[in-house]
Amino acid sequence: MSAPILQVDGLVKHFPTARKGQVVHAVNDVSFAIRAGETVGMVGESGSGKSTIGRAVLRLLEPTSGSIHFQGRDIAHLPERALRPLRADMQIVFQDPWAALNPRLRARDLIEEPLLLHTDLDKVARRSRAAGLADRVHLSDALLDRYPAELSGGQLQRVCIARAIATNPKLIVFDEPTSSLDLSVRAGILELLHELRTETGAAMLFITHDLGTVKLISDRVLVLYLGRIVEEAPTGAIFERGAHPYTQALMSAHLPPDPSVRLRRHVLEGEIPSPIGLPPGCGFASRCPLAVERCRTLSPPLEALGPSHRAACLRIAEGANRLDAATPA
Amino acid sequence: MSGAAESARIALPASGGALAHVIGVARRSPTFVIGAAIILAFAALAVFHPWLMPHDPVRAFPTQVLHAPDAQFWFGTDSNGMDVFSRVIYGAIYAFAIAAPVVVIGMAIGVPIGLFTGYRGGWLDEIVMRFFDALRVFPSIILALAVVAAAGPSLLNVILVLGILDSPVYARVVRAEVLALRANAYVESAVAAGNPTWRILFVHLMPNALQGAMAQSAVRAAWAVRISATLAFLGVGIQPPTPEWGAMIRQGAEYMVTGQWWVGIFPGAALIALVLGLNMLGDGLQDLLDPRRKAATR
Amino acid sequence: MSLLEVEDLHTHFIARGLDNRIRTARALNGVSFALEAGRTLGLVGETGAGKSLTALSIMGLLRAPARIVAGAIRFEGRDLVGASEDELNALRGGSIALIVQSPRTSLDPLTRVGDQLIAVHRAHRQVDAAAARERAIAMLASVGIPDPARRMNAWPHELSGGMAQRILIAMALINEPRLLIADEPTTGLDVTVQAQVLDLLRRLVREKGIGAIVITHDLGVVAHYCDDVAVMYAGSIVESGSVRAVFGDPRHPYTRNLIASTPEKLQVDRGRRPAVPPPNLYALPDGCHYRDRCPDAAELCAQAPPWIAVGDPGHCARCHFASRQGTAA
Ligand SMILES: Nc1ncnc2c1ncn2[C@@H]1O[C@H](COP(=O)(O)OP(=O)(O)O)[C@@H](O)[C@H]1O
Ligand SMILES: Nc1ncnc2c1ncn2[C@@H]1O[C@H](COP(=O)(O)OP(=O)(O)O)[C@@H](O)[C@H]1O
Ligand code: SF4
Ligand SMILES: [Mg+2]
Ligand SMILES: [Mg+2]
Repeated sequence: MSAPILQVDGLVKHFPTARKGQVVHAVNDVSFAIRAGETVGMVGESGSGKSTIGRAVLRLLEPTSGSIHFQGRDIAHLPERALRPLRADMQIVFQDPWAALNPRLRARDLIEEPLLLHTDLDKVARRSRAAGLADRVHLSDALLDRYPAELSGGQLQRVCIARAIATNPKLIVFDEPTSSLDLSVRAGILELLHELRTETGAAMLFITHDLGTVKLISDRVLVLYLGRIVEEAPTGAIFERGAHPYTQALMSAHLPPDPSVRLRRHVLEGEIPSPIGLPPGCGFASRCPLAVERCRTLSPPLEALGPSHRAACLRIAEGANRLDAATPA
Repeated sequence: MSGAAESARIALPASGGALAHVIGVARRSPTFVIGAAIILAFAALAVFHPWLMPHDPVRAFPTQVLHAPDAQFWFGTDSNGMDVFSRVIYGAIYAFAIAAPVVVIGMAIGVPIGLFTGYRGGWLDEIVMRFFDALRVFPSIILALAVVAAAGPSLLNVILVLGILDSPVYARVVRAEVLALRANAYVESAVAAGNPTWRILFVHLMPNALQGAMAQSAVRAAWAVRISATLAFLGVGIQPPTPEWGAMIRQGAEYMVTGQWWVGIFPGAALIALVLGLNMLGDGLQDLLDPRRKAATR
Repeated sequence: MSLLEVEDLHTHFIARGLDNRIRTARALNGVSFALEAGRTLGLVGETGAGKSLTALSIMGLLRAPARIVAGAIRFEGRDLVGASEDELNALRGGSIALIVQSPRTSLDPLTRVGDQLIAVHRAHRQVDAAAARERAIAMLASVGIPDPARRMNAWPHELSGGMAQRILIAMALINEPRLLIADEPTTGLDVTVQAQVLDLLRRLVREKGIGAIVITHDLGVVAHYCDDVAVMYAGSIVESGSVRAVFGDPRHPYTRNLIASTPEKLQVDRGRRPAVPPPNLYALPDGCHYRDRCPDAAELCAQAPPWIAVGDPGHCARCHFASRQGTAA
């Protein structure tokens, strides 16, 4: 097993609120690692801290505490100037391709920009490299002279992806790259990402709230709830043998586009609580059908259940963590 | 949402020619068209003045002092016996020669300040904005008076002082746009790509943040014309017999009471027309650049 | 007689361009379907297909430059296209209710939710304030809002997305409509909350025998919450039938493409699909509107395809080759 490209330990991020002394506990003590060539999915409901983690590991924001080792070096508090050369090796693709590109630059210049910043290539070389990149993301040459406003959402997202892979990064974060795209456009982007996964060998952190997508694209899945990882396991295990009650409920809410699939629903009450006044104990206790008294006071640690399976629930130890045993499906 | 808008946009066939475009602009903002027409007229005066002026603007006709308007001197003559009509035309050159560099200097100083403070935020932004607020407490004319009086009443000094004094206006407009743009994912995406700060400011933010400043520039040019004329009128700016409107108005004011109204009225009317034209152009530009503003204010 | 019959509905956007030429966007061109009381119809399609516009046409809520240029809409046998504004007002919010796309913006931010419910009720029923209040509280309870009497005083901004959607459902159902149209009722909600809202909608629709149209772009929602489905493309319905029949044996190439595009069905290893741009409503091809994007298009497709009934009763598709068994992609 190779050394991880990215190793995150005890990551915490608080945001200030308008009211003094109050903070948003966006990310609370998150640790995980990503190895070269691996695609890790990150799922969770909105506000669970996915984007904040994605931005923190690329140091688009500075963590409150914790360490972020990228290729063995702790970048958690490096100044922007020192980060800049590293940015060639770590890239991001955002959710909304309409907003993620400078409207005043042509597609060609947008794709060339990372080459301009991180390589010594001259103008001619950059141009031909950009054409090659466009070809890799299946964007026709004729489109390169267009401005973002003249491209469709799917084409824009291809430009974003071309930018992200231009410098052959070691790590790419995808923050819901297909959420704002239509079904058939989304399919094209997912196919492309699948191609690039094997072609580039880059490690990928794939953030999404779409369970179908995460199942398709990732080797391993992190499940987030209220700024904490509640479970981490290989994709198959997450969908079939989720240990944490939240994972089980989340997976049971997934609606496959096939009426013949029988659903085993565990519908949760209520909604994700506010990350401002973080409750003590297990973050999921307020909605958990299995919660017992101590869940409200003791914070469950993320414990290993197997070689690559971790979960954070107090009731796993006593074998009382199955929702289907507790509630009629 | 964006998807639907997109398909509609792509679907729209290319619209007609340049004429259709002009008609479209005229329909959307008549203010802009009138303003532009006035300014073009004054620009024509400035450019074609050698052919338009019947007399040399600084040639005195000693026998024709304070001559009333007639066929020879359309706007009459002043107390030096100089032709007011020719002087009004020549004054257009001064108006542009002051307004244009004042705007350029104001932008050259104000835009980078606005870009940087808006992008950086924090204490630096706080201090700069407080300083600008403090400056605002004094009416700009008083500041301009004080500085020009101290530095000496030359054309160059007037231009420099007005340009510097006006830079906070651009800084503010640009800063406000940058604050809005900063929330845009493309700025974060530029950081993530590894852009140094100067590139983010000047390549990524400036072209998108300049609209408001551009629209302001016409209004600020009007301000420059007005203030420089006021300075001249008060006697601290450009000095007579330079054919500058403010100086001419000052001269004319003395003869108002004695009945030689033409000395001051004609340069005054030219000044008002140009200031009005520039203001209309600025308003029209803002309507065209931001149609929502028009809907909200009308 | 069906509860609702929509027959060959054409809604166009007719506007004058800057150059004074008239442009017509044929946003709906020939929408036909029928809905029986007690059944739920899923109206599915990609962005811009005309789903919302169909709902607005039925509700008589079109605004210029949109106009119904041909077709009939019959609600319990009454024609709605020719109905007067007064007649429509009496129906809207009474016998026909609409839940629009964004729960946040469809509540009046300056009125307490209880007062909004009461106002909607009293606009259609001759009841005194106390009775209306009682009814509103009962409705809040029936959509699962805890402590409904207290919630009557809540302001819209105090509600979470899921809560706001429940209130809108209560508001839609307070006058016991016989037809309910829900436009993307769960878009933007988290999966676990989506499950709650969909379960609630299904329960209420079943209990009251309401005929419902659920507009969505999520095939999973259709597969598990609808009885029937109508697939929209470029302003027409291209296939309709029972959910089981259409998903099990899709006969229109567009339906097949849509199903194959879902992440769950996507076969990323099978090579790339051709990029298909969205249809151009200003210049739809003659004959079959899908002709220029269709992988199976043949010469015959230059003629408008008829509705062809296939297999299962009620299952039909608008494709010349619909009777050919599809190779379920
Ligand atoms: N810049 C910010 N300032 C204040 N709060 C923030 C900021 N960014 C995110 N948050 C808060 O942090 C929490 C996690 O947000 P985010 O990481 O965006 O979640 P997700 O991507 O999972 O939806 C949310 O409660 C959000 O409101
Ligand atoms: N004012 C307009 N002029 C021309 N076309 C419009 C206008 N408004 C909406 N449309 C078009 O009408 C079509 C139907 O839109 P809509 O019913 O909202 O789609 P859906 O709800 O299926 O996403 C879209 O393709 C959209 O581009
Ligand atoms: S720790 Fe308790 S509350 Fe948390 S998930 Fe496990 S059982 Fe539920
Ligand atoms: Mg996010
Ligand atoms: Mg819609």
